[in-house]
Amino acid sequence: MTPTTVAVIGAGRIGRMHAENLVRAVPGANVKAVVSPRVDAAWADTLGIPVRTAEVDRVLNDPEVEAVIITAPSGRHVELIRRAAAAGKHIFCEKPVAFEPGLIEQAQAAVAAAGVKLQVGFNRRFDPGLLRMWMAVRAGEVGEIHQVRVTNRDPKAPPVDFVKRSGGLFFDFAIHDFDTMRFLSGSEIVELYALGAVLVDPEIGRAGDIDTAVITLRLADGALGVIDCSRQTNYGYDQRFEVFGSKGSIFVDNTTPTTVVSSSKGGVVADRPHETFVERYREAFIAELSAFVAAVRDGSPVRVGAEDALAAVKTAGAARTSHLENRPVRLSEGLQQTSGGKRQ
Amino acid sequence: MRVITAGILGAGRIGKIHANNLMAMAGVRLKAIADPYTDFKEWPGPAITASRDPEDVLKDGEIEAVLICSPTPSHADFTDAAARAGKHIFCEKPIALDPERVRATLATVKRSGVKLQVGFNRRFDPTFARVRQAIVNGEIGDVQLVRITARDPAAPPIEYVMSSGGMFVDMTIHDFDMVRFLSGSEVEEVHAYGAVLVDPGIGKAGDIDTAVTSMRLSNGALAIIENSRQAVFGYDQRIEVFGSKGGIEAHNETPARTVLRTAAGIRSENPLYFFLERYQRSFVIELEAFFSSIRDDKEPPAGGKDGLMALVVGLAAKQSLVEGRPVRVEKLASPEAKKVR
Repeated sequence: MTPTTVAVIGAGRIGRMHAENLVRAVPGANVKAVVSPRVDAAWADTLGIPVRTAEVDRVLNDPEVEAVIITAPSGRHVELIRRAAAAGKHIFCEKPVAFEPGLIEQAQAAVAAAGVKLQVGFNRRFDPGLLRMWMAVRAGEVGEIHQVRVTNRDPKAPPVDFVKRSGGLFFDFAIHDFDTMRFLSGSEIVELYALGAVLVDPEIGRAGDIDTAVITLRLADGALGVIDCSRQTNYGYDQRFEVFGSKGSIFVDNTTPTTVVSSSKGGVVADRPHETFVERYREAFIAELSAFVAAVRDGSPVRVGAEDALAAVKTAGAARTSHLENRPVRLSEGLQQTSGGKRQ
Repeated sequence: MRVITAGILGAGRIGKIHANNLMAMAGVRLKAIADPYTDFKEWPGPAITASRDPEDVLKDGEIEAVLICSPTPSHADFTDAAARAGKHIFCEKPIALDPERVRATLATVKRSGVKLQVGFNRRFDPTFARVRQAIVNGEIGDVQLVRITARDPAAPPIEYVMSSGGMFVDMTIHDFDMVRFLSGSEVEEVHAYGAVLVDPGIGKAGDIDTAVTSMRLSNGALAIIENSRQAVFGYDQRIEVFGSKGGIEAHNETPARTVLRTAAGIRSENPLYFFLERYQRSFVIELEAFFSSIRDDKEPPAGGKDGLMALVVGLAAKQSLVEGRPVRVEKLASPEAKKVR
């Protein structure tokens, strides 16, 4: 098997994680270059990545590079997708591709015109638990779907500086939940109602965002959904999912670092959930890149593409409108002018 | 302990449960039970006066407390009559389906100076009571989210659905009470999505069988209730309260605690089948609390206001579903508030 040569654009936390996964855990991937204004040379040495550069064009002009992994700041995603597509490179892009549906459509058009692949970093679709759930639902184990529930809570509220440039809770955080809702149900969200609150950190409120949300929604197949989000649990990264239907239900629980249970007079104590998304979705992050590399190698379609990014962003826009105007919003109404990315 | 003499109106399913519980309860003497539709041949035995006439209970000067377990449409009239007769009252929920009627009855009760407890039995379930205690103790900090899953094991007959007042005031009313009880806060605004996914007959009868309801509470917290009339695996009753210091969760309870491991997989037990099994202990504890409040002259732990508020939230949810918008509860809760606005 000829290895697929890739370049990683962006060397922040996610960029470094993807590079490490590609080198250590994805068979058939050859990381040739990392693009960043500041590359830690010792880190790149350890991974055996030969090319370190601040110039995107250096990898885009390199005929050996077949695919790029875009993990640069989100504001640059669409521009990088268009340039990479024009250079004939296949693309894996972290979420969010963009906050505005129009920009995602531009990226989609550029990719289609160039005939390259674009996979979007909705990593949860590759989590073994959620995949097993998805297969069970598709196999009819729960019958017709009646209710889908997603619980998404971060361990610690992010710094306010991050919140200010994040696009807001619906675009930055709940966007994964909107995608998960579509993925698990196999149906489109047609209407939603979002309640938001500032209960964790008043600074987040002053920055114009919220830190707690409940989103209820109606799916095209008639089922109902519930998403609850919090920026801070204090007990770890809380990720739970349930699909309930005419024949029963299926549930994905939190995963824990170990399975130790200790009992004493004080109580029966088990591990908290994993602390961060990096640990919780470790397998998913590897599997999404393995799938991407395999799609590039085999010429098969990617499992999560621009249309999914588009649907999730449109949903986030509808959720923001719903929250601001305190009313249910139909997805079909909000498409005219989604000035996405503005803080709620 | 002073023995209190009690009577029961209504010998249907819940009336019988309460009667049997009272017969075994210390400090209570069940003297009489009345139901126009029961012949009392097999039950309750010679020690208890059984009658087809409610007046036999209401006019008995020895009876200090009355349990009203008759069909819903007669709750308010019997509560009024019992209050005028100076008897303390335990009334099954709902007191009435019309808030004005409930208010009138609460005024009668107040004038009579008797105690009124409403049958929100779940407050007395040991598991849910422990959840409330954890909140009161500050174990999870400030409440930020209350999440309730409440699913029945099988859809009720259509005749029942038609006289029930609809899912929100019949079934979800217990969950609205739990939201208020656990959070210690009022529901300010409610939004409901509903669907007919279990039984088209329920839809034809003008009701729904599946719902997700979201709420904003007066302390700023949010709440979610998921309902279904049919969970084929059993009575699905789970609660989670999430707060600034963590969360607490109540799982389903099961008949036993086994886990079976075989080549086919790891199998644990289905939830207890329905409310009679799941909330068995709560029915005893709620009555113990009722009789304690009479004996010690205290406010009953689930009073008339609780009955009214849960009903009003249920009606607001119903209105939200019909009108497709969030509904503020205060507009329904107090006519005075409406005038002021």
